[in-house]
Amino acid sequence: MSKTVIEVRDLFKVYEGAVPVKAVNGVSLKITQGEFTALKGPSGCGKTTLLNMLGGLDYPTSGSILVGGKDITSLGENELIDFRLRNIGFVFQAYNLIPVLSATENVSFIMLLQNRPKEEREERARQLLQSVGLAGKEDKRPGQLSGGQQQRVAVARALASKPQFVLADEPTANLDSESTANLLDIMLKLNKEEGMTFVFATHDDRVINRARRVVAISDGKVVSDHNK
Amino acid sequence: MIFKIAWRNIWRSKVRSLVVLTSIALGIWAGLLIIGFSFGMNNERTAAAIGSTLGHSQVHSSSFLEEPTSAAVLGSAAEVQAMEELLQKASFVKGVSTRAIMMGMVSAPKSARGVRMIAVDPESERVNSNLPETIVEGDFFESKTRNSVIIGQKLADKLGLGLRKKVVLTFQDADGNISRASFRITGIYKTLNATWDELNLYIKRSDLAKTIGQDLVHEIMVRYDETENTEEKTAELSAAMPEGATILSWKRNSPELGYADDMMGIMLVLVLGIIMMALLFGIINNMLMAILERRRELGMLMAVGMNKRKLFVMILVETLMLGFVAGPVGILLGDLSTRVMMGIGIDLTSKKEGLSNMGIQSIIYPEIVPEYYLIVAVMVVITALLASLYPAYKALKLNPVQAIRGE
Repeated sequence: MSKTVIEVRDLFKVYEGAVPVKAVNGVSLKITQGEFTALKGPSGCGKTTLLNMLGGLDYPTSGSILVGGKDITSLGENELIDFRLRNIGFVFQAYNLIPVLSATENVSFIMLLQNRPKEEREERARQLLQSVGLAGKEDKRPGQLSGGQQQRVAVARALASKPQFVLADEPTANLDSESTANLLDIMLKLNKEEGMTFVFATHDDRVINRARRVVAISDGKVVSDHNK
Repeated sequence: MIFKIAWRNIWRSKVRSLVVLTSIALGIWAGLLIIGFSFGMNNERTAAAIGSTLGHSQVHSSSFLEEPTSAAVLGSAAEVQAMEELLQKASFVKGVSTRAIMMGMVSAPKSARGVRMIAVDPESERVNSNLPETIVEGDFFESKTRNSVIIGQKLADKLGLGLRKKVVLTFQDADGNISRASFRITGIYKTLNATWDELNLYIKRSDLAKTIGQDLVHEIMVRYDETENTEEKTAELSAAMPEGATILSWKRNSPELGYADDMMGIMLVLVLGIIMMALLFGIINNMLMAILERRRELGMLMAVGMNKRKLFVMILVETLMLGFVAGPVGILLGDLSTRVMMGIGIDLTSKKEGLSNMGIQSIIYPEIVPEYYLIVAVMVVITALLASLYPAYKALKLNPVQAIRGE
């Protein structure tokens, strides 16, 4: 039995307004070490809101999120920033790399924030770029790379901080089929070889087809949960 | 790496950065030019005043300083002689001139006016002051004519007098007796200071002595080798002065010139402050734009765990860097153009009348004042620091989730 990385209990997120919107409406979920899980559902179903809360980017209205046994919903803003830095890798839809930094610098910047020594940063950045198939592109700036290549830099960056798990929000939405397949190959390889846990929020079938667990979300609720 | 990011970020939007860098450099350039110009103007005025009448310092009896009456003399002829010798022992003293100073009245056929009569030794003044150079009509006591007087152009205009006209001077001697004598105008002078010209007239000490039967000395004007360190030199001489005699520097003798000196310092800092204020808003605007454009990036940095302190420092460094790039350029520009102006001067002939009333020549030669380079540099850094605060605050207030999506 693998260890539980994330445990979500009775999670609610309500956006107050003229008509209150229950974006996440009572979700309970366990993610264990080494999973490759897709949260799927149409736009507006609440999967991104759920993912943001798992990543400590947003606070739930009620419920708890235990990461490594610790309830992150009780952390203050600054503690949460530090928690994200040490525990979570993020991959965003629009890559969100720093355009003025090279691929290597983008990857090592996270480690700089963790105050790791320079030699370690450079060595690890080089290894990671190699493992995402970007050997030889280390000194290229994001603008000189294709979308797929940029997203692979983003994956390397997400792994640089040695996180407990990686959260990816629609990581393939801007990519063509070849780049998507390529990216998924790399993520699956990292998942298999290093046991890295990946959680996706996506409605892209190309991702869902290759995920080993698919959690379907509709109207803020889990409507099905399959392990393949 | 923070420095690397800041540096590269500045050049991300080249035109915008160049605009703000140029405005900082131009602001500093203008500030330094104003400083050089003001110092040039002020020093010109000071030099003129020192040269014509004030000297670098003056010795008076202490009672003369309290109330400048005819009786408040420096001492007997022998005592004055001793003081002159004492003063000339100092290596930096280039010359001394003795003067008698009396308040009195000048009467012309049509009107009369209260004046200050300065009785001088023409030979000594020729050496130690530039009074002879201020003569615009006639000469500086060249003829042996008895009872000749030199009056200012302004006084001549007011009284409707001209060269070779006669006036009657009324004085009070050291014992309080009133004497009157007729004098002939043999020279008309004009200094940069029109107010001075209206109030002061010059006669020979020998004529005064004959008229009132007393050879009085109220003032010894002392000329130094150079104007630098006037206060220190004066203090040195002051220690050697006999009791009852007081030596004061030009700044103390002519408080209005001293005030002008002090006021200028305050005014310049104020002008610099205003320039910096304008730059402040320019820089704030630039940085707000930069942050607005980089919302996604900043949101990502916050999401992946860049804490607020580091984010703040990153924006601070970027803003400071603008100052560090533009500051030296502005200072260099200011320095170079001041040096060029020093050679050719700034011609303000069209404003001559007004300037002359303030005791300023119509061509100004700016000066380099290195102390102010430091002040300007410090002010730029402070401005950049202040300018980073609001943009940094805006960045810290970004919501990472929304910022990442570019909302």
